[in-house]
Amino acid sequence: MANQTPAVVMDNGTGFSKLGFAGNDSPSFVFPTAIATKGPAGGAGGTGSGRPAVANKPSFLTGGAGPGGHLSGKRGTEDLDFFIGDEAIAASGGPGYGLHYPIRHGQIENWDHMERFWSNSIFKYLRVEPEDHYFLLTEPPLNPPENRENTAEIFFESFNCAGLYIAVQAVLALAASWTSAKVSDRSLTGTVIDSGDGVTHVIPVAEGYVIGSSIKSIPIAGRDITYFVQSLLRDRGEADSSLKTAQEIKEEHCYVCPDIVKEFSRYDRDPTKFAKHVVRQPGGREVTVDVGYERFLAPEIFFNPEIYSSDFLTPLPVVVDNVIQQSPIDVRRGLYKNIVLSGGSTLYKDFGRRLQRDIKHLVDARIRASEVRSGGARSGGLEVQVITHKRQRHGPWFGGSLLGQTPEFRSYCHTKAEYQEYGPSIVRRFALLGGPGGS
Amino acid sequence: MLLLDYQNVLIQSVLTERFSGSRAPPASIDQTVSDFDGVTFHISTPETKTKIVVSINIRCFRELVQYGAEQVLQRVYDQYVIEPEVGYDFSVLVDLESLPAEKEERDELIKNISLMKRHAMAAPKPLRSILPKKPPQGVREGGDIMAIHYREEEAIYVKASHDRVTVIFSTVFREETDRVFGKVFIQEFVDARRRAIQNAPQVLFRNDPLWSCKECQRMPDVISHIQTFRDYFHYHIKASKAYIHSRMRRRTADFLQVLRRARPENEEKEKKTASGRTFKVQGA
Repeated sequence: MANQTPAVVMDNGTGFSKLGFAGNDSPSFVFPTAIATKGPAGGAGGTGSGRPAVANKPSFLTGGAGPGGHLSGKRGTEDLDFFIGDEAIAASGGPGYGLHYPIRHGQIENWDHMERFWSNSIFKYLRVEPEDHYFLLTEPPLNPPENRENTAEIFFESFNCAGLYIAVQAVLALAASWTSAKVSDRSLTGTVIDSGDGVTHVIPVAEGYVIGSSIKSIPIAGRDITYFVQSLLRDRGEADSSLKTAQEIKEEHCYVCPDIVKEFSRYDRDPTKFAKHVVRQPGGREVTVDVGYERFLAPEIFFNPEIYSSDFLTPLPVVVDNVIQQSPIDVRRGLYKNIVLSGGSTLYKDFGRRLQRDIKHLVDARIRASEVRSGGARSGGLEVQVITHKRQRHGPWFGGSLLGQTPEFRSYCHTKAEYQEYGPSIVRRFALLGGPGGS
Repeated sequence: MLLLDYQNVLIQSVLTERFSGSRAPPASIDQTVSDFDGVTFHISTPETKTKIVVSINIRCFRELVQYGAEQVLQRVYDQYVIEPEVGYDFSVLVDLESLPAEKEERDELIKNISLMKRHAMAAPKPLRSILPKKPPQGVREGGDIMAIHYREEEAIYVKASHDRVTVIFSTVFREETDRVFGKVFIQEFVDARRRAIQNAPQVLFRNDPLWSCKECQRMPDVISHIQTFRDYFHYHIKASKAYIHSRMRRRTADFLQVLRRARPENEEKEKKTASGRTFKVQGA
């Protein structure tokens, strides 16, 4: 390791990008995946929009393509006039800049913006020479291989990076769970519950490969919990019920209870359970907001969605159970045994314990039913285990950091020379990092 | 972003957050971060959570020491300097409990620590002598050339004369296209003086290994500029490529649109009667 530069780990998500170096226990930078460029915010659908126009096009080319003159009409340095991350959010508040989110639903939509986003994150924030470092990027499950190829084109052709590895976020989240004391065998088989701000995914992974046909997503995630808390505050007529307050209450006070009915009566008996939250409003005024039942009701929408939403009614444990039941029968045991949490909305206290108990109930009920039907046969039982660990919040990033620091990581990467030999299609296949034979 | 920053953004943000003292219990840190030119920083809190150690590892530290890096660093960091951490060349220790009281002083300290790489690299005398208005005393014409091998195959050579300082950068392009871009880019520097900017430094460049030459006059930011020159250069080559790529994408999208439009609008559909029978076209 004397002169080996650490690998760069980049996890670009829909909302936030996590950047850092392999071997660290937390990302160096976490900022919104946003880019502010000169001109109005665009990005409304359609293939042509959002891309810069070609200058001086012959008339037969212009028709309908919209007004030209974004980037390429300019001969100066306008293409460098942009900000990313928190600076982008700040800049878009002022005049002249439009805010864009190059990633939608986990997948890169606007490659021009993404290329510049990467360029700035490498040169301004991480401050590395791409020639000297290996890169570990992440992709969502079911990412089309064309997107991988585009990514590889940018990293090898624009940045000349030394080597590249693209890993699936769910697999990295599994690898991150190896730090937990409960995990003994470091397998890459398991069910990943990834709950971020916008959406929750349940992803089964068998020996490092995602079982794409059984992935389920749930339209309930962090943002919905915040809205729910906010609506509860409004119903009570609290002094401050802004979204920011709701988010703070969610992050500081919420936890998962084993039984809501009992928890309600416990609150009624013991008034000390009610918390107070102090909000510092702009202007220096301090307002105290009472925090009541939402402490345990908010995360409860995962387990009883009917209290929040009217169109999505399947509780999370049932979804997880269905996902595993839809997976091939020979991996189901492994999937039940290794249910890994990842993402900010899984951080509530006792979230894992409650989930494990509920799934266990479902499984036991099914086993009993089939025992009865079989007429006397006994089942050996099934182990259900939900794993919580300390690195849950940035799970995929931490998994990347863990795998990126192993000595054999570089041999798994595709290098620039290999890329030039085979072309972009080389990134369609990667050897399985941390799989059997790895450390 | 035209110019690269000189300071390390991570160190800056970590220290700013810690110094402001907003969060009550400071968490422990242990991060290894890279900077340009193979420089590695290590930020950690080895003993207690309030004592932050920042260490730096530079490839060419031994050369820099020859040119007086230690005095420079000693002067800048003074009481914060500690024995270098194992595997690193230079360390400073900041105790959050004994910070300077004034906000300006704290900001100054943050700035200095995040500029650690710059300070170390600024050690060679002729470089420092750019700063004062007076020509460097005691530097004779044809003095020694100081070499800083800051990367494996690349180096900066600094040579001082009585009225000017010559800085020679050598850089290696692994990539054919990069070399072309680089040539165009440097040509702009060469032309800059001829065009508008009278006080631009004179720039010469050669393709054969006699390196590109740059003669600098006295400017306050020159040292920082000189250090980031190579990275600046490579950054812009890449930015140009990104720009060209975005134009190529746009062009492809436009051509595809033309192709789509070339498709006949209403293709002959089979005509049917109300009962579902079709007409046969005569002679078909």
